Amino acid sequence: MSEPPLLFSEVRVGPNHHPLFNFEVPANRCVSVVGDEKSGLDKLGEIALGLVAPASGRALVYGEDLSAMSNTDALAFRRRLGYLPADDGLMQNLTLGANIALPLQFGSNYSESAIQSRTGIIMSALRIGDSAARRPAEVSEVVRRRAATARALAFDPELVILERPFDGITNRAALELLQIVRGGETSQGSRRTVLIITHHVPRDLSSAVDVSYRVIEGELRLET
Amino acid sequence: MIAPIVKIGNVVARWVSLVGALALLLFRIVIAWGTLPTAGRRVVRRVLKDQIWFTAFQAIPLIAILSAILSFLVISQAVQELGRLGATELIGILIVIAIVRELGPLLTALVVAGRSGTAMASELATNRAMGEIKALEGMGIDPLHYLILPRFVGAIVSVFVLIIVFDLVAVTSGFVAASSNGMSPERYFEIVLGALSFQDSWLTVAKGITFGTVIGLVPSYYGLATKGVSTDVPIASSRAVVGSILAIFLLSVVFVAVTL
Repeated sequence: MSEPPLLFSEVRVGPNHHPLFNFEVPANRCVSVVGDEKSGLDKLGEIALGLVAPASGRALVYGEDLSAMSNTDALAFRRRLGYLPADDGLMQNLTLGANIALPLQFGSNYSESAIQSRTGIIMSALRIGDSAARRPAEVSEVVRRRAATARALAFDPELVILERPFDGITNRAALELLQIVRGGETSQGSRRTVLIITHHVPRDLSSAVDVSYRVIEGELRLET
Repeated sequence: MIAPIVKIGNVVARWVSLVGALALLLFRIVIAWGTLPTAGRRVVRRVLKDQIWFTAFQAIPLIAILSAILSFLVISQAVQELGRLGATELIGILIVIAIVRELGPLLTALVVAGRSGTAMASELATNRAMGEIKALEGMGIDPLHYLILPRFVGAIVSVFVLIIVFDLVAVTSGFVAASSNGMSPERYFEIVLGALSFQDSWLTVAKGITFGTVIGLVPSYYGLATKGVSTDVPIASSRAVVGSILAIFLLSVVFVAVTL
């Protein structure tokens, strides 16, 4: 049996009062983990990417523990994944277009024209083509969120980790954003694997999420 | 009774820890040079060009003005005073030792530290506060490659270029000062070129690299060392400029001690 794209095995984020995260994100599924700030789930994305070490347990991405890899190997591995950090993390001194092109310029051997072409396609898909020459501080929260999502999808990754992706945007915009992130069609089995880590999933999005976990009273529970 | 000793011990421990942390960062930057992905080189080259443009070329007018005024004031007075003593040939030594060898590198480094070191530290601290460094790591981009390496190399190149600009303008301005006080161009250049030695050339190169390394390293350290809150940005800038200036003066003393 092949490894799940993402597996949290007995992961404890911090001190003992934090819940034990024990779940997996199956291939081509969208999984959400919902909880408040005290639950410590804000660190799950960073733990999965090997940016911080868990207090106990381990997170495996396609069977690999990134925190156990060398820095160079972990960096190369992360380029295969899509990551939307909670505070979008767009470089303030770059335009949105340059922000989206950056991972491609750094991690691919595409020509500059191919990168610009791909950047244009992704920006059009997320309907931010008009803002390509603007800097993050010059656009709205929604456009920033779309740009950060576009950047996370730059490499067309199979697995995408979204941290608080719906903060500050409308339910409609959130649904559209999630549909773009997932891509493809279920019948073709080509949809991306998505982990959403958030404090709140808008009601309209519930149907778009395949598996939902919630931290209740310090315990991670599967929602039905 | 023991309290003062403990305080002194803590201060010494802090300094040793700081020097160790700077040495570690320098080591990591050198290693980062070797691990830079091939694809990332074009981005780093672009950032490096920008860095040299902001740090070196935009500072040329300021450096030229400082150098011209300093050299003109020193040489015009020296020509008059040394002329009375019949020792005008000493202005060559004055220009070479006082301006080219000592003040040129020192003032240039101070200007770059004040002008670009603070900018570098505040930019990196802002990168940290805005979550940009975490995002870069999450995308598989090493912040050392993208943010630090081009700034570090840019600082070294810029300080070196600006020291040469400072020296050229100082010699030219000295010529104007000497000419306006009755010295012939042939005599002036004969004296100045006669006073220049091979040691002055390698000292210029060594100081350019050393001071550039300090300006690339200290602000990078303080910028990255912030805890990720916006109130840390001015603190990082202030510590970066104070630390850089202190290091530059200390290293100037070391250079004098080594070359005497």
